[in-house]
Amino acid sequence: MLRKIICTTLTLAALAGLTGCATNRESASITPGTDLKAMKTFYVVKQPADTHNIDQLIKDDLVKRGYTVTTGPELKPPYPSDAVVTYVDKWMWDITLYLLELTVNVRNPNGFPVATGNSFHTSLTREGPPEMVGEVMNNIYKQTN
Amino acid sequence: MKFAIQSIVSKKFLPIAALALGVAMLTGCASPSTPAGMMPTAFQPVNKHPQTVSVTTSGGQETSSTGKSQISDAAFAQAISDSISTSKTFSQVVQGKGADYLLNVTIFNMDQPSFGLSFTVKMEAGWTLRKADTGAVVWQESIKSEHTATTSDAFAGVERLRLANEGAAKENIAQGLAKLSALNF
Repeated sequence: MLRKIICTTLTLAALAGLTGCATNRESASITPGTDLKAMKTFYVVKQPADTHNIDQLIKDDLVKRGYTVTTGPELKPPYPSDAVVTYVDKWMWDITLYLLELTVNVRNPNGFPVATGNSFHTSLTREGPPEMVGEVMNNIYKQTN
Repeated sequence: MKFAIQSIVSKKFLPIAALALGVAMLTGCASPSTPAGMMPTAFQPVNKHPQTVSVTTSGGQETSSTGKSQISDAAFAQAISDSISTSKTFSQVVQGKGADYLLNVTIFNMDQPSFGLSFTVKMEAGWTLRKADTGAVVWQESIKSEHTATTSDAFAGVERLRLANEGAAKENIAQGLAKLSALNF
């Protein structure tokens, strides 16, 4: 019993020392004066390290909203579209691999960020990549209302 | 007697002490970044603009007690305003309306680690300066910065993350003010 308590406590102490704690959260913001709905054509920059086709999921989401979308590698600005979308996907292993955090940035053709969305879900409340992309994009577009 | 003391220590006090240590390590999770911690030290502006400015920020997040340390909009705005006032980059920071220029800084990316010994936080903020009377954009730039906090800075992860956040924000503000002060109106 004593050994269990000590082991548990030491584990907790080690975790407290090594981690920054974690929780679920979702957020979005937009630069004042930005008219997101006026942006009709998008270029989604595929991250070189992305092996989960997050760029395609973002493209699918934007197409559903009625926009014209192309994906491809990073280009030298200005981009040939109304807006550029970049993203950062973070994955974690817990029995299976899951999408821990997704950040999506909408930028003007010169690369200046005009809107952003972020979702963070730990293992127990994990979501599939399409749902996570949908959640982030919904939160971004809510800012325009 | 010696055995009795050892027995009491091992069976009663050691678990309590161990639990207390655990609680002490876990409490204080997490504290928000402070304006003072985000202010650049010894910043020298290229130009000291005689005009006034008002500062707004967005994209920040409040820190929940069980979450990661974050940078709130209010703390970030305070750090930028205090840095402008201290360095005299503008003659005065005006609260609300009445300023010559409007400075908006939006935090777009906060790349924070969740686990490790060294915490490197990467930050991207969009800085936009507009003329208050016309709304015309005078300057707009995305500024990226980062800072690494190690166990020598703080042992507790939550504290280390806060320091990494503040360091990244401090570097971002320093870069932003350097570019702002280099402008010629």
